[in-house]
Amino acid sequence: MEEFKLLLISAERLFYNGPCVSLVIPAFDGSWGIMAHHAEMVTALNPGELRYTTPDGATTVVASGPGFTLVNNRDVVVLVDTIERPEEIDANRARREYEEAQEDLRQKQSQKEHRMTEMALAKALGRLQVKDHYR
Amino acid sequence: MANTREIKGRIKSIQDTRKITNAMYLISSTKLRKVKKELDATRPYFSTLQRAITRMAQHSPEGDSRYFLNHEDESPFSQHQGYLVITADKGLAAAYNHNVLKLALRQLESSTNPTLFVVGEYGHQFFKERHIPIEQSFLYTAQNPTLNRARNIALELLERYDRGELDSIYIIYTNVKNAVANDTIMTRLLPLDREALAADEPAADRSLEVTDIHTNYEFNPSLDEVLNHLIPSYLVGFVYSALVDSFCAEQNARMMAMDAANRNADEMLHDLNIQYNRARQAMITQEITEVAAGAKAQRKVKSV
Repeated sequence: MEEFKLLLISAERLFYNGPCVSLVIPAFDGSWGIMAHHAEMVTALNPGELRYTTPDGATTVVASGPGFTLVNNRDVVVLVDTIERPEEIDANRARREYEEAQEDLRQKQSQKEHRMTEMALAKALGRLQVKDHYR
Repeated sequence: MANTREIKGRIKSIQDTRKITNAMYLISSTKLRKVKKELDATRPYFSTLQRAITRMAQHSPEGDSRYFLNHEDESPFSQHQGYLVITADKGLAAAYNHNVLKLALRQLESSTNPTLFVVGEYGHQFFKERHIPIEQSFLYTAQNPTLNRARNIALELLERYDRGELDSIYIIYTNVKNAVANDTIMTRLLPLDREALAADEPAADRSLEVTDIHTNYEFNPSLDEVLNHLIPSYLVGFVYSALVDSFCAEQNARMMAMDAANRNADEMLHDLNIQYNRARQAMITQEITEVAAGAKAQRKVKSV
């Protein structure tokens, strides 16, 4: 398979900078797969599961926060708020956050609170998904 | 003798104060180093983000998004201004707080309907004493800035902007110019100005070797939608780096103030030590003179 350069950057660290053969991103309307020579585009990302395979065949699964992806001719840049490896995720905490967010969504909230709760819900879901996948 | 004891007391008290200022100096330098490291870790993210926004801004037609400055229509611009003022929690940092507040006061005079959002305890107290109304529910500390706090601040401001309560948002913060000088800066956060964005676009980070971001992209789902995702991230990033920059500047200012205090203390100790030695020497001389005079008097009595 042909490889392309992948740059995974979160607000806290430069997560990955190297070759990659396939990438799956959690776009706003479901998962998108990206391989070499993909059409150039910019897309918004929801929090969720992000997967990439390096040329040696190893696949890494991480939980990513909200952000966006820039697909260039020869490289792909993923910019997200947070990136977490499965082993960094606390499943119990994620489940608790998921339940709390659902609880909060039933209550009347300001726009900002609503948006933050939605985000928290999506993040918790993404974390749980990645954790399950890992097992 | 009372005089030497007095000097000794002063020396002791100055030494104690010097211990405190020296400790504050060391604490500031450790904090500064810690925060600098965090800032460096986030730099690739924000410089790439800023570059992407700049490119997309050039791509989107004039007057399209509410987040961009519309050059034909400057009027709503002067209605409701929001000022995010970043001060320290504590004083004892030379002119750091003073410079920020001075700039804020000057801005307040020239604005019609300002709302103040103050970060840091020092600023809160300052405006309270002068009976200048500030947003009371806006309570954030300036200590150890985190991304989470920046997110809360940015989203709160953005929500007011979206609701139309604020027509423009400015931020007043301090930038570390170099090791010895700070700059107090005011910039507009919203609406964004395409030309200003293009002007201070950060240089491409060569170490990451990304092909240059250009404009022939397909936007999913649409440019507006992507921008709506990007703008909050951009604001969070800007607020975070401003918080960190200010915190670094504060620590820097405090380090310098404490360094000056240490030097003054050393100077005073030096002078006092000389004074003390002189007083002690004078005391000894006087004692010897007394003894000698006494012996002389005794000899005279014997010889008579």
